[in-house]
Amino acid sequence: MIDRRLLREVDGLSLVLVFSLSLIGLLFIYSSSYYFSSSYYSKQFLWLLVSAISLVVVLMVDYQHLLTFSLPIYVLTNFILLLTLVFSRHIAGMKGWMVISFFRFQPAELAKIAIILVLAQFFSRHRQDRLSGQMILGSCGLVALPFILVLFQPDLGTAACYLPLLLASLFLAGLSRKAVVWILILTLLLGIASWHFYLKDYQKKRLITVVSPGQDRLGSGYQLLQSKIAIGSGGFLGKGFKKGTQSQLRFLPARHTDFIFSVISEELGLVGSLTVISLFLGLIWRLLRSVELARDRGGKYIIFMVACLIAFEAIINIAMVIGFFPVVGIPLPFISYGGSSLLTHFLAVALAVNVRMRRFANV
Amino acid sequence: MGKERIYEDFSFLHNRVRKSLYLIIVVFSFLALGYWKVQILDHRKYWSLSEANRLREIKIPAPRGLFVDRNGVVLADNIASFKVGLVRENNPDWKRSIPRLAELLNLEETVLWARINKYTSQPTFAPIIVKDSLSLEEIAAVEARRLEFPELIIESEPKRFYPFGSLAAHAIGYLQEVSAEELKSGLFPTKGTGDLVGKTGLERAYEDWLEGEDGKKWEIVDSLGRSHGEFDRVEPRPGHDLRVTIDFDLQRKAEDLLQGKEGAVVVLDPRSGEVLVLASSPTFDPNKFVSRFTSKEWEELSSRADHPLENRALRGLYPPGSIFKLTVALAALEKRLITAETAFFCSGKAEFYGRTFSCWLGGGHGWVDLPEAIRNSCNIYFYNVGRRLGIETIASFARRLGFGCLTGIELPGEKEGLVPDPKWKRQTQGVDWFAGETISVSIGQGPLQVTPLQVAVHTALIGNRGRKIKPWLTLNNPSPQIGGDVGDNEGPGIQPEHYEALVEGMWRSVNASGTGHLAKVDGLDVCGKTGSTQIISREKAEKLGQVIKPHSWFTGFAPRYNPKVVVTVLVEYGGLGGASAAPLAREIFSLYKEKYIHD
Repeated sequence: MIDRRLLREVDGLSLVLVFSLSLIGLLFIYSSSYYFSSSYYSKQFLWLLVSAISLVVVLMVDYQHLLTFSLPIYVLTNFILLLTLVFSRHIAGMKGWMVISFFRFQPAELAKIAIILVLAQFFSRHRQDRLSGQMILGSCGLVALPFILVLFQPDLGTAACYLPLLLASLFLAGLSRKAVVWILILTLLLGIASWHFYLKDYQKKRLITVVSPGQDRLGSGYQLLQSKIAIGSGGFLGKGFKKGTQSQLRFLPARHTDFIFSVISEELGLVGSLTVISLFLGLIWRLLRSVELARDRGGKYIIFMVACLIAFEAIINIAMVIGFFPVVGIPLPFISYGGSSLLTHFLAVALAVNVRMRRFANV
Repeated sequence: MGKERIYEDFSFLHNRVRKSLYLIIVVFSFLALGYWKVQILDHRKYWSLSEANRLREIKIPAPRGLFVDRNGVVLADNIASFKVGLVRENNPDWKRSIPRLAELLNLEETVLWARINKYTSQPTFAPIIVKDSLSLEEIAAVEARRLEFPELIIESEPKRFYPFGSLAAHAIGYLQEVSAEELKSGLFPTKGTGDLVGKTGLERAYEDWLEGEDGKKWEIVDSLGRSHGEFDRVEPRPGHDLRVTIDFDLQRKAEDLLQGKEGAVVVLDPRSGEVLVLASSPTFDPNKFVSRFTSKEWEELSSRADHPLENRALRGLYPPGSIFKLTVALAALEKRLITAETAFFCSGKAEFYGRTFSCWLGGGHGWVDLPEAIRNSCNIYFYNVGRRLGIETIASFARRLGFGCLTGIELPGEKEGLVPDPKWKRQTQGVDWFAGETISVSIGQGPLQVTPLQVAVHTALIGNRGRKIKPWLTLNNPSPQIGGDVGDNEGPGIQPEHYEALVEGMWRSVNASGTGHLAKVDGLDVCGKTGSTQIISREKAEKLGQVIKPHSWFTGFAPRYNPKVVVTVLVEYGGLGGASAAPLAREIFSLYKEKYIHD
């Protein structure tokens, strides 16, 4: 079923980094929620098992096959997204959940995998280093469909994570510097337009909050201020595991999800935050180095997009909790509580490792 | 396809990947720098913010100093009491829970709002006391719904309690909540919202001495304000006790005697100026309104026509009546216009400046010298003396003897009274002094106004043969915030032998069937003088066809030599001379004798 020689080529370092991050996540989900005897960390542990198994399963299948089936996977994903939008009930103000027995699941997360595959397949046939308008339009269209479906759930955070995938693949495909500038201008215009037509008041407030968090202590600035207090009060070595007053006394909102990095910073200090940042940087560096090893264009696109996805999410989340970026609902990959996110990122890394281990054409 | 792959050129692609890696490294470094700034450079700031977050400071009120009478009887005590505070910070939604809160505390919603609105300028973490003196049921009701009302806190506090109710209420005073204006003015720098401060009496005068220092405790709280145990505490320092000069038995006796009357009694020790009794009637029970809330009782009392909250002993202004004859006599002796033997003939009436002035005894007293004039309180005698003295001299001596200025007692609101002279009249009424007025002033009528306390101090001066004293209410002598250094303590500079003629007259007045005979106490040489105050002139009263009794005065000291006690009694509308004041004084003298003089 799987060649023994292939096993030797599995990238152990990436897996070690991923499991380290996941275990840190598990630890701090425990720290931030044990006192209200929640089942968060045991659930996350179950999800970690499921994710690990899924990783092994994905490694067994040649990514070439996955690329071949990328279009059906993509269509199916969008169909599921449409179904969730139409039929599922509201959970936490969003319609993005699928409930299968006791597991609640967000298809929007898994859609990232489908988008990576379909974009890789789309660009793998592109041999020049210059982009045609057709390619740009095609790739944009591929991302726009799930993007719009998720936007209507409404889950701006998850939808936003599709954009770096598009941008990464276009960049790799030879997007000119001029185009990059154009995209930035367009993003700006889109931002202004969404400020007036799409963003809800609470989202606007969050943006204002980044500029001046002190303005509204108990309102939208509260989260950010408490998060900054948590991080800053951690100091160099932190207050100790399970000893963070900001998190243990519940001043910190969304402790086990979006703001889990603040808990780590509070309880382990600068040492903790730099450790996690280094682990992420190490993983991204390792993945990006793997791009050169991949044997074909499709594989290279896959790894690059996976690396960019993780980098994007980690950067946004780590910048968000310290107030460098508006509070958008983007969790920290591998660490924040959330099964769908964990599984998705494991699958993403599995794809990258899959490409790397099958780098020799003759195997 | 396989063969083609080998020749594919990925250098552009790999170049872009490397560029991305550099960009990502730069961004991550930037983030690391940000964390370094927040966690290392700004650590102190965020650390204190997190401490402030998790620690709730709770005041432990210091028990107020007690009031103890000269023999150790506790006149003002503290008892445990509970109050409910509203901490707006603990519940951003507190406004919406007000209707339910009003129901829980059994308060009118409007009352509750008025209460809160009074303090909206205070910081949101400062509790607004919405109810105090809680019953056990109320405490239980609030505690049971703690989760529903995270903004409520229950605090225990020592509450002022006056075990004898109205006893010495005017001297001791009472507490009321510090007002928002007082807080702003910085008059009470250590006080905050909802604190009680002394509003009158000694409670006010010795606020600093009595208040003590509040303690603090810090509780660890979560974001919902639930307590997770105590972190640290600083114990309160109780206020200092105040030993007052009041004598419990005498004070109670005086108040019993004044029961049903309007008036005042002052008893003091002429040797030291210690005030043994400071009674004013009608009185009030301060226990009924030691609260943050203006109770019905207080409103009722403050609007009553007979002004029970007024301390008549030092705020009541009355013409001194015949008591003033002592002042006039001293002035005349010192000015050598008369000697003790100088006699005038009293026929019952006399004419001055074309107007007839009469003596209180229609038939007249015949030839009287000074002691006899004092004994019988003969008006004609003093009309003659006063006329010779003139208003300027009378006024100057009256002031030297303690009238028209504060006695300096350490109580708020003391009144100066009024010693009239031509200058005063020109200034206030714009007309010249009318010579006939001097005749009225000579017997203590006219615009002359004194307080019972001034009369007591004046009497002590006569008993001391010229040594002036300052009335004083405390034994452990802390420095008061009010009163104290007012007026000079020097005597009036009158030859000591001049007093003897007065004292002889005063002795006769009480012991030789004089006007003060009702104050006679067997075995105690009481010397005294009666007085009555015409509220309106007799002629006018006759015209009106109704009899308004004059205010009745008695002031005296005992024993005759080296006096130990001065008693001054004023009974409003008490009748002529010693009719009602002298018997009261007798009761007090005899209780004093029983208690303090053992032969």
